[in-house]
Amino acid sequence: MACNLINKKITKQLILYFILLALWQILVSLKIWPQYLLPSPAKVCATLAEGFKNHTFLIGIMISFKRLLIGFGISIFCGAALGVFLLKYKIIDEALSGLILGLQTLPSICWFPLAIIWFNLSEWAIIFVIIAGSLFSITMATSTAFKNVPPIYIKAGRNMGARGVTLLRKVIIPAAIPSLLIGLRQSWSFAWRSLMAGELLFNSLGLGYLLYMGRELNDMSMVLAVMLVIAAISITIDRWIFGELEAKIRLKYGL
Amino acid sequence: MPILKVDIKSKSFLVDRVNLVVLENINFQIEKGEFLCVIGPSGCGKTTLLNIIAGLDLSYEGYVLHQEQLIKGSDAHRLLIFQEMGLFPWLTVKENIEFGLKLKRMDKKEIENISSKYLEMVNLAKFKNSFIHELSGGMKQRVALARALAMNPDILLMDEPFSSLDAQARDILHSELQKIWAVTKKTIIFITHNVREAVCLGDRILVLSSAPGARVKATFSVNLPRPRQIESDGVIENVKLIKKVLDSEIEKYYGMQFNK
Repeated sequence: MACNLINKKITKQLILYFILLALWQILVSLKIWPQYLLPSPAKVCATLAEGFKNHTFLIGIMISFKRLLIGFGISIFCGAALGVFLLKYKIIDEALSGLILGLQTLPSICWFPLAIIWFNLSEWAIIFVIIAGSLFSITMATSTAFKNVPPIYIKAGRNMGARGVTLLRKVIIPAAIPSLLIGLRQSWSFAWRSLMAGELLFNSLGLGYLLYMGRELNDMSMVLAVMLVIAAISITIDRWIFGELEAKIRLKYGL
Repeated sequence: MPILKVDIKSKSFLVDRVNLVVLENINFQIEKGEFLCVIGPSGCGKTTLLNIIAGLDLSYEGYVLHQEQLIKGSDAHRLLIFQEMGLFPWLTVKENIEFGLKLKRMDKKEIENISSKYLEMVNLAKFKNSFIHELSGGMKQRVALARALAMNPDILLMDEPFSSLDAQARDILHSELQKIWAVTKKTIIFITHNVREAVCLGDRILVLSSAPGARVKATFSVNLPRPRQIESDGVIENVKLIKKVLDSEIEKYYGMQFNK
């Protein structure tokens, strides 16, 4: 029964995608725009296959992920530390919360002039943009997650003898995990977008650079193929990693 | 020698920069193994009183002695059971019960023995690996009871533990709590706003007057045979007596609210 339902859903989706592809092909066949502005689905597919065959895409993905890992890793570490710091010193929190919100809502591309002046057109300029784009989101998520831990858990934990670090490790952190995870998911999407924006700006290799190269070569099928790869990675990580993890946690916590 | 001596001269809160005296001259003692119920109009400071006894609130004038020792903080000798339960949703039923025992760094085998003993006692052995959200309200409160009992406290502090449950679950828990109390011989302070519940469970009932400045308005002893049922004639007779005293306090409380 459940299996049938899933099959039905997949069939529906397949039909929908097929219709979209057909529409695209019809649009190409009508020849309203020249081929170099709107390539056919087949051509994009061929570019996609070729890109994977000659390892261009894989190398691009690996370079991009290395930057993401370093940048997002630093963001998580420093962002969470700053979040906890703000929780501990309420005066600083009150004074800085506006500034942090402002920095968090700043589009990451706005950091680029500053990054270039400080780091030139280097690896660290891109990593800096990733950090700037996601760190404050992590900070805010951490401090809200801890602030929203129901006081009853802390009361119960203290009453049973948990103090200080033990209380933090055994009660406060586990209680904050569902909202920490939501914050992490959101911050990851900020980091990912910042990375793509950063890589677009100069000869940096990586996925963003492949887009840039496609534009330089006026190769529209390359541009579309890379966009598909980027979208596929976004969906994979957001839905299949964060989505699954969140569903598991929500089930366990009964949310 | 009483196990607990309470002598609170005054306890106040700062509300909108105004000092609001909540408790005033609260004076009573509890013998070991006694089941004491505390009732009073809403907002009279019953929970505050329990927090002070638990050691979670130390900013008051007066003293509370637990076995002649001044209470200087919260510890597992006086365990709270809340209306909202405060069970940890990230742990299973068994892990919840073992939480405090693990903090004590007890032997693994011993922890296992204790948790299975209390899981039996509250009839939840079958659900030991369930998560908290999978249980009904009554079952959750039984987990909370088992978690508290597992720590082997001197005094159980119960803060309206059954008031969010449906009537059926409450009736069952009333009889189970009486049984458990008979077996474990724990000292219990039980706060409620339900007079019938208080008469059904308590050896002695303290009636607090309305806030501000709640005092012990009256004390009643209940000498009915156990186990008691909430709808029995004996319970209802006692309830009528206590209600007379309580109602005048409730009127005062609401009268004051209207005159504001």
